Amino acid sequence: MILDLHNHSIKSDDGRAKVENYCKWITKRGLDLDGFVLSEHRQYDSTSDYRALEDEYGILILKASEVETEYGHVLLFGVTEDLEHAFDFADVRNPLEMVLRETQRCGAFAVPCHPSRTIVGMFSHYDELGPAEGVEVVEILNGGGRGTENADAIALAKKYGYRGIGGSDAHIVSHIGRCVTEFDEEIESIEELVSALAGGNYRACSVESV
Amino acid sequence: MEIDIKAVKKEFVGLRFDETTFKMKSERIAAFATGCGETEARFIDPEDSDFQAVPNYATSFHGRRNLPEHFPVDIRRSFDAGKCCESLAPIRPGDTITGSSHIHDIYEKTGRSGPMMFVVHRMEFTNQADTLVAIVDWRMVIRLGEM
Repeated sequence: MILDLHNHSIKSDDGRAKVENYCKWITKRGLDLDGFVLSEHRQYDSTSDYRALEDEYGILILKASEVETEYGHVLLFGVTEDLEHAFDFADVRNPLEMVLRETQRCGAFAVPCHPSRTIVGMFSHYDELGPAEGVEVVEILNGGGRGTENADAIALAKKYGYRGIGGSDAHIVSHIGRCVTEFDEEIESIEELVSALAGGNYRACSVESV
Repeated sequence: MEIDIKAVKKEFVGLRFDETTFKMKSERIAAFATGCGETEARFIDPEDSDFQAVPNYATSFHGRRNLPEHFPVDIRRSFDAGKCCESLAPIRPGDTITGSSHIHDIYEKTGRSGPMMFVVHRMEFTNQADTLVAIVDWRMVIRLGEM
């Protein structure tokens, strides 16, 4: 099962893609993609309901969040009401340790994204702050990666023993599907995605390798 | 210079600080549409029975102030982060459009270049019948590290 785990819609302040247009693009282009996750910046979009689009296009659409910490940005999968109230998703200075602790307590799963990117990537803070405790998985392939960002992320993930996912970090329609995650099992809900992420039976892929 | 974004947000979000009136002229409406590459007669031909401004016309309007008085950021240290326009009703020649400005949102985010503060200046445009015809959000971004 192939999912793009990191994308933004117009719900994000810098997103320019309507969700239906992602679906149309995937369908029209015949992308080998079973679904995608909307990981909106500094918020959890609890109001949007994409089930009608899922039914119309046969594409799984899940929701997540991308929050900010002193170690950079982190994707949160399986956001619950409990987690939404645990800390301020809009705060750009949430301590990573707290985000990871609360995420785990609430049954969700946290994945630092674009970890080799300057300032907003976790690895860029390791010299100053030291390795982060409690990280299991990082986004080793990010569709917006420049230069050696993805290669560096792969190398450092291996060094620290982290598993890796792929996500396009799409903010416009045409960027979806650039980097994805291939799972061995079927996933039909956010709960099953969280379980799968914890399980480890997946690999990050770029569009050339899928 | 440190800036307390939460305090700035509390003081300025929702604050109305400017109101400007614009008179709609067919030549300018048609010229803007043509400049946008528009080809539909209702946007480029003043003689068309349904002649009106293109949906994004309100993005060309500017009030007298970019920010409220005493806003703790020098506008010269900011740059344009884009506009978003919602067209709600046609704007036609002869209309008198009133644009009312307020700070709609202030938020912080971190990017490759470091921390940034975004200010969303919203203008709401009504016509002479007090019909809301358009809403334009103009984002300004200030790099906090350079303040």
